[in-house]
Amino acid sequence: MAAWTLCVTAAHGTLNLRWFQGSVAMASGQERFKVGFIPVTCHLTCPVTDFINKQLYGQGKFDPVRFNGFPELKEAFLAGYMPATFILAPLAMALREQGVPIKIVYLGHRDGTAVMVHKDSGVYRMQDLRGKRIAVPNRYSNQRLLFFRALKQAEMTFSDIEMVEMPPPDMPAALYAKAVDAITSGEPFMAQTELDGYGRVLWLTKDVWPNFISCVLAVHEDMIKQNREAVQQLVDGIASSGKWIDQSMDHRMDAAEFVAEKYYNQNPRLLRYVLSKPPDRVKYTNLSLRKKDFEEIEQLGIESGILQGTAHFEDYTDASFVPDDSVVKPHAWQGLKK
Amino acid sequence: MVGAIRKPASRNGARARSVLLPVGTAGVLLASWHFGVVASGSDLFPTPGQAVGGIVELARKGLLLKYVVASLFRVTMGFGLAVLVGVPLGLVLGWFRPAFLALNPIIQALRPISPIAWIPVAILWFGVADTAPIFLIFLASLFPITVSSMAAVQNMQQVYLRAAQNFGLVGLPLFRRVILPAALPQIITGIRIALGVAWLVVVAAEMIAVNSGLGYLIIDARNAGKRYDLVVAGMMMIGLIGLLLDLLVRRLERFDEVRWGYGQQ
Repeated sequence: MAAWTLCVTAAHGTLNLRWFQGSVAMASGQERFKVGFIPVTCHLTCPVTDFINKQLYGQGKFDPVRFNGFPELKEAFLAGYMPATFILAPLAMALREQGVPIKIVYLGHRDGTAVMVHKDSGVYRMQDLRGKRIAVPNRYSNQRLLFFRALKQAEMTFSDIEMVEMPPPDMPAALYAKAVDAITSGEPFMAQTELDGYGRVLWLTKDVWPNFISCVLAVHEDMIKQNREAVQQLVDGIASSGKWIDQSMDHRMDAAEFVAEKYYNQNPRLLRYVLSKPPDRVKYTNLSLRKKDFEEIEQLGIESGILQGTAHFEDYTDASFVPDDSVVKPHAWQGLKK
Repeated sequence: MVGAIRKPASRNGARARSVLLPVGTAGVLLASWHFGVVASGSDLFPTPGQAVGGIVELARKGLLLKYVVASLFRVTMGFGLAVLVGVPLGLVLGWFRPAFLALNPIIQALRPISPIAWIPVAILWFGVADTAPIFLIFLASLFPITVSSMAAVQNMQQVYLRAAQNFGLVGLPLFRRVILPAALPQIITGIRIALGVAWLVVVAAEMIAVNSGLGYLIIDARNAGKRYDLVVAGMMMIGLIGLLLDLLVRRLERFDEVRWGYGQQ
């Protein structure tokens, strides 16, 4: 029994924890921190920055940690496991209202969400969704606010539909099985239904709420106080990655390739599709924080009942890291050489 | 004479049957799974062949060994701790009435709480490294072990105790030479059930953002889009390893020290 315990511990340490390879990062003397993300295109700049850091400097400057859903990600942030994370904007705002010292420092992306219905369904406009069941990722997701806004434009309310919460990875199968009538979450899970031939776009974000924001980069206030330089370096890296991704279609295809393979474990074809069809399906420029955008989210959050309105732009953001997006330069990396 | 000749033949027959029956049943079930999927025309749910293909793919990438080791490590640690804590705790509770009265209600109240409900608490307490899943597995296996050890002492045949007392055994020797051996079969049954539970909980425990393990493989495959072959491959591996673990624990029951407790048989 003791021998077994020793063996399995040694094997786990070697294979999974890399006990015997970890000395390089330690030796460089830099204290590394963790950044949380979920495998959606809204968080794409996180793995892209890590990958480009590794190409340019030989090693990453932080450890990206992948989660599967927002509850676990939020809990790990609250527990202090990681000082920085990509997170839903209204979720960060709600945490601030509840007294959590969280600060939004940069946007993750713009647009990048769709509402999908089954291709055989008779749903062609918002009004057709009356009485139907719609899946959203989380009550604090911007997708829910987006839906709220689309309902308002169609002169409907939440009471006209049935809304359920579901982890984005489960949504394609739910739509395929017609367990729900419509789904909405970050990409690539929406595009996947299209690629697999059973999903149809009801509308893209840019049609209903141009320049929509769903996820942001947020850090713990203590990290800003204690290590402002590290936060600045992180935000600069993320900002340059956004510019780099949007620099050319080649860069987008490269990003799809290495992120799918090394970080998301998805079929690269899926990310290539999302990042190109159409090219403005999701955008990674113009990501500095603007008061007007957040006031709009705040207003919708209050109207739809997820925010109290007790925290404001100055409370839950720190826009000082990238005050002007136009001066951000893309990473000086040529991309994958084929 | 006839009996002497027939006996080895029937023993061979029994052995053949003990192999043929389970293998044949599994074969029929796999075939109906395969043809069921083919008949339904589903391109999402995999056939057994595709699932085995998934296992081969994982093995080729070197992930299979990594994930199996990670899960076995967490189960070893969580379950091992549960045995170390649960068996003595159960023996004490079974022997000392006041301890039983004090702790039993709390144990019975904690016992029905699903490990999934503990996930948020585990993340808050232990972060998302190995400790959190180990804690969940520990919790899930602790209660069956404690309760079975407790019941084993409480239900022990009084004749053993009286005989021991006639021989003047008291204190630690009484405990070591009579109570523990008499309770051992039931304790081992509890351990066997608990090992099943520990292995059962591994998927839930690895839903926390660890980045290895068979449970993680299933969650990860859900992220990867249409890779339900990998989901089922993970399920198959968990099932096969569970079968092996159960066979191993059954061997424990054959030791002489354990057989002693089955005195009445």
